[in-house]
Amino acid sequence: MGLVREFTKGLWDEIPPFRLVLGLCPTLAVTKTLKDGLGMGLAVIFVLLCSNVLISILRNIIPPKVRIACYIVVIATFVVIVELVMQAFTYELYQDLGIFIPLIVVNCIVLGRAEAFASKNGVLASAADGLGIGVGFTLSLTVLGSIREALGCGTLSLKIPFTDISHVYNLFGPSFKPFAFMVSAPGAFICLGMLLCLMNIIGNLKKS
Amino acid sequence: MSDYLLMAISAIFINNILLAQYLGNCPFLGVSKKMDTATGMGMAVIFVLTLAGVITWIIDVYLLCPMDLVYLRTIVFILVIAALVQFVEIFLKKMVPALYAGLGIFLPLITTNCAVFGVAVINVREGFNFMEALVFSFTSAVGFALALVLMAGLRERMATARIPQVLEGTAIGLVTAGFMSLAFLGFMGMV
Amino acid sequence: MREILKMFIVLGIICGVAGALLAGVYTGTMDKIEYQELKFVKGPVIMEVLQGCTNNPVDDRFKLKYGEEEVKFFPGVFNGKCTKMAFETKGSGFGGDIGVIVAVNISEDTISGMGITTHKETPGVGSRAKDSVPFKNSFAGLSINDDIKIKADGGTVDAVSGATVTSKGVCAGVNTGSTIYKELKDQIISKAKEIK
Repeated sequence: MGLVREFTKGLWDEIPPFRLVLGLCPTLAVTKTLKDGLGMGLAVIFVLLCSNVLISILRNIIPPKVRIACYIVVIATFVVIVELVMQAFTYELYQDLGIFIPLIVVNCIVLGRAEAFASKNGVLASAADGLGIGVGFTLSLTVLGSIREALGCGTLSLKIPFTDISHVYNLFGPSFKPFAFMVSAPGAFICLGMLLCLMNIIGNLKKS
Repeated sequence: MSDYLLMAISAIFINNILLAQYLGNCPFLGVSKKMDTATGMGMAVIFVLTLAGVITWIIDVYLLCPMDLVYLRTIVFILVIAALVQFVEIFLKKMVPALYAGLGIFLPLITTNCAVFGVAVINVREGFNFMEALVFSFTSAVGFALALVLMAGLRERMATARIPQVLEGTAIGLVTAGFMSLAFLGFMGMV
Repeated sequence: MREILKMFIVLGIICGVAGALLAGVYTGTMDKIEYQELKFVKGPVIMEVLQGCTNNPVDDRFKLKYGEEEVKFFPGVFNGKCTKMAFETKGSGFGGDIGVIVAVNISEDTISGMGITTHKETPGVGSRAKDSVPFKNSFAGLSINDDIKIKADGGTVDAVSGATVTSKGVCAGVNTGSTIYKELKDQIISKAKEIK
């Protein structure tokens, strides 16, 4: 029961970046299309899961005074692994995400979970927490990416990393005029703001 | 000289690091509620980012590239930035207590500010020379501070305005940031 | 004192393990990354200069030593015989190095095509050289013994309008290519015989 709870809290109650307002930069930058959002989400799941597990294992060994430095080394190691693996196997995604792959290092979600959860809890609970928050983050990115791509380009592009499966769905037919605002920077901010507002409305309805 | 001027204008207005390149958004929404904290954070970022941009550039060009260790860039940069922030904190505390009183509490937050790390990576990815790296780091940080202070001004006004309950807090902050970003789009084509 | 010692030891061990792990992953993925870069960055340009070839030039690539450096060659098979050889050289343009892919017809000793991979030229001015078909076509058929120059310098190549420096840089890159080819010609031809 406890583990399930640690996992599911990341999917709604503490879903980043809506409830935990952390990790906004990649959320805004790589959600121009569905496939980029999904790829970024998967990279974050990997880093978050691995760093949470390792930090939880090492939590009694790491001296408190240098704990942040240790966390950063652990996280950065996994980020570099993701960077190299992506470069080797999904090069197109690597080019699309560009600078935002190394930037996972400073994604506050990862360091935030290490400090707030993994350093105080057992290995299994930390794994469940990392996986939950990671999946929640991926969900947010895919939803935001779908909305922005659908309105901004009129398409939905799906590509599953490490496989050859890739599809581009044309949603609205040839007469559709793309709403280019959505794929630009201001569109990203406003779209995220509106989604947050929607979540607040749903939260209010649930309460009453 | 005009090249550097164009680069500066581009980094501050057109490709503003916060509003067009999406870097450093967490502190942008986190510490922009009050004018004086925003100014403090802005100054701290200008200080650290310029230093970090230059130091990481030197390390990359004279240490990592010759030794063929470019793949360790991410891990080395973040450690350098973390160490630099610590060092600046200790230095200011001992030598310039007045400045420390103003910037001190913002310094630890800067380690995980993606703007600092992002600019360091952009500097080396774009293959800038030393002067370009220096100018780009400094002006990007100025752009960050400018956007942060403008945002704080808006949010101070908003504190007294009547905002729909569902939009309160971060949601209205994001929408405001969106409109600011739209305004900054107007600078496009200036260079 | 013991506490400080422990701090250093733990941090040192973590850094050491991280470094070793990364070095391992890096060596493991190195070849794959090199191949992906060739396929996605240089591949399209190589396929363009070797248009119509029946093999996969990136898969059939080989390396030869030119002075201190290693040059990668991408052979192109036409009608069952390897008759063209593409490789990358550099010329300096307005904003920095320009990566130039030169294709040489090894049976006729002529340049059969030219393409640009990476550049830092001014967008909309120098960058047009990358996509200008007349500019690229004006290199085809030139002999490797010619000193290739733009028309303004008394040569035969039509410079891209407004981008003289870039055009000159590309010409210099192609000339370097001719030099490399002449130097390594014997090795290239013996390698080419092995490729079908």
